[in-house]
Amino acid sequence: MNRTVLFVALRQLWERKLLNGIAVLGVTLGVLTLIGINGIMQGFQQKFLINIIKVSPHVTIKDKQLRPRPSILARFDPGFVVTRVSHETPSDRQLRINRPYEIVRGVEAIEGVVGAAASLAGSAVLAVGAKQYPVDLRGIDPPRQDRVTPISQFVSQGSYRALSSSADAMIMGVGVAKELGVKLGDVVRCGAALGPTMSLKVVGIFDAALPPIDNRRIYVTTRTAQILLGKPDIIGQIEIRLRDPERASELREKLERSLGYDAESWQEANANFLALFKQQNMIIGFVVGAILAVGGFGILAIQIMIVMQKTRDIAILRSIGFHRRDILSAFLLQGAIIASIGAAIGSVGGHYLVTFLGTLKIKQEGLVRSETFMVYEDPVFYFYGVGFALFVGLLASLIPALRASRVEPVDVLRGQIG
Amino acid sequence: MNRPSDSSVPVPLPGERPPPSSHPMDHPRLPWPEPGRVVLSVEGLTRELGTVVKTPVLLGIDLAIRGREFVSLTGLSGSGKSTLLYLLGALDRPTSGRVIFEGADISELDDDERAELRASAFGFVFQFHFLLPEFSVLENVMIPMLRRGKRSRGDAEDKAAQVLHTIGLGPFLERRPSELSGGQQQRVSIARAVANDPKVIFADEPTGNLDSKNGVIVMETFERLVREDGITIVMVTHERSFALRASRQIVMSDGLIVEDLDQRNV
Repeated sequence: MNRTVLFVALRQLWERKLLNGIAVLGVTLGVLTLIGINGIMQGFQQKFLINIIKVSPHVTIKDKQLRPRPSILARFDPGFVVTRVSHETPSDRQLRINRPYEIVRGVEAIEGVVGAAASLAGSAVLAVGAKQYPVDLRGIDPPRQDRVTPISQFVSQGSYRALSSSADAMIMGVGVAKELGVKLGDVVRCGAALGPTMSLKVVGIFDAALPPIDNRRIYVTTRTAQILLGKPDIIGQIEIRLRDPERASELREKLERSLGYDAESWQEANANFLALFKQQNMIIGFVVGAILAVGGFGILAIQIMIVMQKTRDIAILRSIGFHRRDILSAFLLQGAIIASIGAAIGSVGGHYLVTFLGTLKIKQEGLVRSETFMVYEDPVFYFYGVGFALFVGLLASLIPALRASRVEPVDVLRGQIG
Repeated sequence: MNRPSDSSVPVPLPGERPPPSSHPMDHPRLPWPEPGRVVLSVEGLTRELGTVVKTPVLLGIDLAIRGREFVSLTGLSGSGKSTLLYLLGALDRPTSGRVIFEGADISELDDDERAELRASAFGFVFQFHFLLPEFSVLENVMIPMLRRGKRSRGDAEDKAAQVLHTIGLGPFLERRPSELSGGQQQRVSIARAVANDPKVIFADEPTGNLDSKNGVIVMETFERLVREDGITIVMVTHERSFALRASRQIVMSDGLIVEDLDQRNV
């Protein structure tokens, strides 16, 4: 670009400080909103996802066989035997994973797998005095399970190791303890539909900051769970932790194909939340896009007004030798400068806004528990903010710039326009 | 003769040239320099205006303008004098005919080539000063030189300051056009036209918005440019007294040249 064009564009921009300041403000608000809203929404989403990835297995192999063996009758040629049986009694064989520890060893040998642990899950009811509370019971091998879902990191009272030391030990979520009003060392009765009732001692209380887990889950040893659930020697699931959680779906497919058991990735397990987040992000995208578009319309309106006011000056510039492209460049440059300044101020303002929001003490309890406003800063927000602002600024300047470049000096001199 | 006084005319500073004579005809006639070769000519030039209803403005003009000529174009409103000036100055395109500058047909040039020609060979002075209000007097004069790109910023600044000093605007270099009188503004626009060393200056009613005193200053400036700098000037004017000061007077009527008088032949 010719330096004279730059000189003229900058001076004209500077001389309309108020008008261009308003245009800058529009872009600033757009970028600030983009960074602010994304910081807040992603703060919540990221906290949830980070915690869920940390506390939940990345892939779970379940006890449901994908290709179950057909019944004995069905295995024979239907021409020779009767295969239709009325009121067929379902098999009393409990669902299980066959040879679970072999599978665990095999899975752990797969590249990218950090750990695998066999466990048993079921529903149980805890009772303390007259109080009863339904829980999600997990029977685990504590040391092995900790490599998959590092519960020990979230134990806020008592000890995770104590779980291995006794068959009647139990670790419960902080929400469960609160509901039942129990403390560390208390004994709680636990029972399930098909097993005996046992008295379990609370040896630890964990706080994963995820109310859906903290308010429902208790951990016992695998053996204790098998007794409580009436499933002796049964392993109901194998949980796996990966180095890269994003590869969970890929491994799930591979395991389903090779083992024939149903498997579930953490994305499938949390599909509802992820779909909700996706929808939320789309809505945010629309809102922020609309705000930035309004900022763009601000630039458009102001630039068109300037072009109309400056028609005579454009004619002068054209008459003294400025090319059409010089005029086009000057107005596009002005749009780009307005957008850049707006984006820069918006980015700095957005950073301070997000930082400030992060210091606000707001107690939240829902999908995620937090004492402060959950915020998240990602350079991508700034990249999108600046990129989108520049795009909108240039696009909004294009129409006035084209209009300006089409000014014929002779029309202005004849008094037909301007 | 009563003439309106103009308080905006600057009081000359020490070292500046004395105030000009106050009436166009009071000026002593000096001989015009010998004209050079033909620099600008038109052949069979016509121009129609309007998109739906075509109005013929020029009906076939043939004209040759030599170097160091000071040509005045006069005529009634609508006679086509300004249209002819815009065509000569490559600001407009003819409907038919040719405009030849230094042997080359400029009527066929595209937009960029015409802009380049205007920047390199022509200067313009209009009825209204048409200065850029955001720039100082000095910058207004510098901009065409900077756009042409033949001079560094420092050189352009020196040259602009020199031209402005020559026409008595030395003390006003850093002022904005709005801080000057009408006559001073018009002289700035002359300085802008001159600073880029043009071969031809086109002036469209340069005195039309000025009182007679400032009009005389402008005319004297033009005469000096022709006599001392050898610049060719083509000026459209309504004022007969100013037209008579030109070395060659062309009168137009209804799109045709009806009179072409060279003072040197009188």
